[in-house]
Amino acid sequence: MKLRTLNYFTKEGIVNVRRNKVMTFASITSVIAALLVIGIFFCLMINVNYLADNIEDQVEMVVELKNDLSPNLIENIKKEILGVNGVEAVSFVSKADALELMKKAMGSSKDVLSGLEDDNPLPDTFKVSLKDPRMAESIDLAIRSIENVVNVSYGQDELKKILKLMYVVRLSSLIIIGVLTFIAIFIISNTIKLTVYARRKEIGIMKYVGATDTFVRGPFLVEGMFLGFVGGLVSSGFLLFGYYNLDRFIRNQMFGLFKISILPTGSIYMNLTLLLLAVGVAIGAIGSVISVRRFIKV
Amino acid sequence: MIELKNVNKVFEDGHRVLTDINIKIEKGEFVFLVGSSGAGKSTLIKLLLKETEATSGKIIINEREITSLRRRDIPYHRRHIGCVFQDFRLLPNKTVYENVAFAMEVVEASPREIRKQVPLVLSMVGLTRKSKLYPHQISGGEQQRASLARAMVNGPAILIADEPTGNLDPEMSMDIMRMLNEFNYRGTTILMATHEKEIVNTMKKRVIALENGMVSRDQIRGAY
Repeated sequence: MKLRTLNYFTKEGIVNVRRNKVMTFASITSVIAALLVIGIFFCLMINVNYLADNIEDQVEMVVELKNDLSPNLIENIKKEILGVNGVEAVSFVSKADALELMKKAMGSSKDVLSGLEDDNPLPDTFKVSLKDPRMAESIDLAIRSIENVVNVSYGQDELKKILKLMYVVRLSSLIIIGVLTFIAIFIISNTIKLTVYARRKEIGIMKYVGATDTFVRGPFLVEGMFLGFVGGLVSSGFLLFGYYNLDRFIRNQMFGLFKISILPTGSIYMNLTLLLLAVGVAIGAIGSVISVRRFIKV
Repeated sequence: MIELKNVNKVFEDGHRVLTDINIKIEKGEFVFLVGSSGAGKSTLIKLLLKETEATSGKIIINEREITSLRRRDIPYHRRHIGCVFQDFRLLPNKTVYENVAFAMEVVEASPREIRKQVPLVLSMVGLTRKSKLYPHQISGGEQQRASLARAMVNGPAILIADEPTGNLDPEMSMDIMRMLNEFNYRGTTILMATHEKEIVNTMKKRVIALENGMVSRDQIRGAY
């Protein structure tokens, strides 16, 4: 395509944007709204992924051993556990260590536990960290089959629930993003339909003197992409502002016993802005192609 | 130059508009297409511009079979054909000059070509002095001359005029006819649809008459 033609597209595209100030404003506003929601769900999704990564790091199995095993035997069991596929690391916690940990956890009430040193009811255990929490079930089975292992626990039910929740959040975010993209395309194509309609005479003449479809479509494509681009720019601005403040708020807050954190603004702003701009420009382009289609068939 | 072989056109609702049309127009001819409204003149013109498809038969323009033309090749086909309509179809927000230049811009002609060609065609239709005026500032005849200039500015081999004098008084009409004659003299093949007896009888050109979608008469130096 010639540079002159691109120039012409841009010039005429801007004429279109100006001609319909009210509609342009209305449709940019709607696109901003749609992109805002898309952006919110995008943030939700990447934070769920972030959370998933955290959980993956945190899933730990506690392997309970029979009482009074010889150190040699314990060493052998450790080797066997390490040999299980999906196991990342294994550390031994003796019953004495466990009692100490428990005392620490109980703080000032630790006296309740005094006197247990000689008749410690806690078992020797291994703490096993996993490469991937989704492999927990098979690892569980493998370790259970090792001799002298009494029990394996890793919060099976909780883990399953969390993984399921994440799946639901990811899936529903994707669906909502899809639906909103579709709605935004519809909004933009309606705005452009108006300018196409205002210029239908011109389009007719262009077709009679032999203008190609690409040439007729060009200015409207520019118009649509412009609407989408502005929408993307403004919505990512709003969203980053909101996200930054939420991030700061959460960082200084305790939720019960937990300190929750979300991905820092600095690590998402690039992806978020690029995503919203790209989605904005793409829906603008698609919307304009749709709205010109009917008029171009002469 | 223009050839129709056994062309039929039936609308989707079953209405038959053109039946077994066989026409051959040579390069440089001036042909009137006459007939009452509803006889099929407009449909025939639409077929030549490939605005609509023939149900059967072959249409050859400029040695090219256009019935099998791909959609993306249609614009290039139309560049060989200039068009003038009864309602002028000028853009109201552009001057006469800009209207004519527009036809060159959309086929991506260079600014230099445009600056050279537009004044030339405007002088041929006698509108040099009115080139900066808008369509509503000039008379109907002048508007049709501007539209004629636009049709001719890309140098088409064929000019199709659909009732070009339909909205004009007799004097302006003769003006337009003189110009068409002039373009024809310079080598452009002209096909003009009309139902104005006066004009056809004065010009003494080939006349093809359509009646109920069929060619009822094809006469060299004919009358209405």
